[in-house]
Amino acid sequence: MTISVRDDRRTTRTAFLLIAPALTLIALFVLAPGVLALVGSFFEIDLTSGVRWTWVGLDNFAAILGDDVVLRSVRNTLVYCVLTIVPSLAIGLGLALLVESMGRGRAVLRTLLFLPFTANLVAMAVVFRWIFALNGGFANQLLGLAGLGPLNYLGDERLALPTVAAVGIWRGVALTMVLFLAGLTSIPTAVHEAAAADGIRGLAKLRTVTLPLLRPIVVFATVMTVLGAVQVFDTVNVMTGGGPLYATETVLTMTWQLGFGYFELGQAAALSVLVLAVLIGIGVWRRRSLMGARR
Amino acid sequence: MRGALRAGLAVLAVAVSVFPFYWMLRTSVAGADSVYVDGLSFLPSTLDLGNYARAWQEADLGRAMLNGAVVTAGILALQLLTCIPAAFAFAKLRFASRGVLYGVVLACLLIPSQATAIPLYLGIGSAGLANTLTALILPFATSAFGVFLLRQFMTTIPDSLLEAARADGLGTAQTLLRIVVPLSTPAIATFSVFSVFVHWNDYMWPLLVARDPGLYTPPLALATFQNADTGTDYGALTAAAVIVTLPIVVLFLVAQRRFVAGIAGGELPG
Repeated sequence: MTISVRDDRRTTRTAFLLIAPALTLIALFVLAPGVLALVGSFFEIDLTSGVRWTWVGLDNFAAILGDDVVLRSVRNTLVYCVLTIVPSLAIGLGLALLVESMGRGRAVLRTLLFLPFTANLVAMAVVFRWIFALNGGFANQLLGLAGLGPLNYLGDERLALPTVAAVGIWRGVALTMVLFLAGLTSIPTAVHEAAAADGIRGLAKLRTVTLPLLRPIVVFATVMTVLGAVQVFDTVNVMTGGGPLYATETVLTMTWQLGFGYFELGQAAALSVLVLAVLIGIGVWRRRSLMGARR
Repeated sequence: MRGALRAGLAVLAVAVSVFPFYWMLRTSVAGADSVYVDGLSFLPSTLDLGNYARAWQEADLGRAMLNGAVVTAGILALQLLTCIPAAFAFAKLRFASRGVLYGVVLACLLIPSQATAIPLYLGIGSAGLANTLTALILPFATSAFGVFLLRQFMTTIPDSLLEAARADGLGTAQTLLRIVVPLSTPAIATFSVFSVFVHWNDYMWPLLVARDPGLYTPPLALATFQNADTGTDYGALTAAAVIVTLPIVVLFLVAQRRFVAGIAGGELPG
C-alpha cells in the first residue's frame, strides 16, 4: 500500500489523538512524580503552610545515611531479601518440576499451589498474625504438642523478621512455581526425548538441559522475586508495623515513616530515590541479561 | 517408591500453601469459646456465624466493598479507554516520533508506584483532591503496563485485515472498535484481570489518601479493623479477611489462565 505525504500527516495526527490521553496521564502521574521525587530529594519540603521547598543539597542523603534506624531498615531489607529470594526460587522450581511430573491432578495441584499468590496480602497478613500469635496461635499450639515453646514470633526482635520472611516465601513460592511451570511446559517433547536418548537425566539434566532452556523464565522469576522482596510493605505494616524496636522496619515502611510519621518528606524522597536506583538497576540488568541470552 | 515420595511431597506442599486459608475459614466460623483452644483442633467445637455479622458491621465492610468495587471498576474503565487506543496507535500506525514516545512508555514501566507516591500525594493534596474517590482512581487512570501488554498483542493482528477494513471505508475509530478490539479480547481480558487484582488489593495508596473511613477500600478497612480495639477478636478478624479475599480468589478460579498471563506480563510462552 502506498502512503502519500498527506496520508502520512493524517496518520500522525490520528495517532497523536489516540495516544494523547494515555501519554498525558502517564506524564502527569508517573513521569512528573518520578522526576519530582528525584528533585525533591535535594529539598527540604515543608508542609506547615502550603508546600514550601527549600534547597538543601545533599543534606537529605547525609541525614538518612547517618540515621541508625534508616540503616537498620536497609539492613533488614537485605536480610529479608536473603531469607526469601533463594528459597522462593528454589522451592518454586522444585514444586514446578514436581507438578510437571504428575500425571493426573496436575491442574488441581497447580491451582492449589498458586492460591497463596492470589489472596489479598493484607487479609493473609491478618491471618498469619493470628497463626503466629503468642497466645493460642496455631504455630505455638503445634510447638506445645512437642512440649516446646511458646515463641513470641512477632514480638521477639530476633524472630519477627524471619517470621515475616516466612510469609514472603509462602507467597513467593506460589508465583515462581507457576512461572517455572509455564516455562517447563513450553519445552518441546523432542528435547526430553533427545536428553533421554543421550542418557541425561536427574540433576544432570536439570543443570545442562532444563535450566539453560528456562533461562529467560529464571531471569524473569528472579526479577519478580527481588522486586517483591525489596518492596515488601503490606505484610510488615499489618503484622508488626515495623516493630518490635525497628526489627522489621524495611526501606518502604521506613520511607513511609519518614514521610508521614516525621513529615521529613525530603528525606523520604531521598530514600525512595536510592531504592528506585536499585530497582532500575535490576531492570537494566534483566534487559541486558535477556539480550545476552538471545545472542 | 518414587511415586509415593512424589505424592507425599505434593501433599505436604498443598498442606502448607492451603493451610492459612483453611485456618482463616476455621477461625471465622468458630464460636467464641472455640477460637482459642489448647492443642490442635482442626474443627471448631461450636459454630458461630456471628463473626461475619460483627465483622461486616464493625469494619463497615459493606461500604468498603462498595468503595473497592467503584474504585476498581473506575480504574479499569479509564485504563481500557486510554490504553486501547494508545496501544493500537503504537502497534499499527506509523507516525513521527513513535519510537521515542513508546520508549517513554517502556521507561515508565520501570518506575514503581512506591517511588512516585510522595510527590503524587502532595500533588493530589494541592489539587484539593485528598480524601476523595477521585484521588483513589485518577492516578491509575492509565497504565504503561496496559499499553505495553495490549500493544504486544495488537502487533500480531495482520495488516491485511486493517487494510481491508480501510478499503471497505471504515475510519480509524470504526476499525478500532469493530476489528481491533474484538480481535484483542484475550489481551484485554488478561490486562483486566491483572488490573482488578492489583487495584482491589492495593493497600499503600488508599492508606495514604483515604483518611475518611467512608472512603476505605477493603484492605484498608480490614487493616484498620485489626488495629482498632478488636486486635485480638480473631473470629471477626478472620471473617473480615474471608470477605475481603473472596472476590479475587473467585476471579482467579474463574479466569486462571488470564490471571497467570497478566502477572507474567506477556513474558510467558503459550
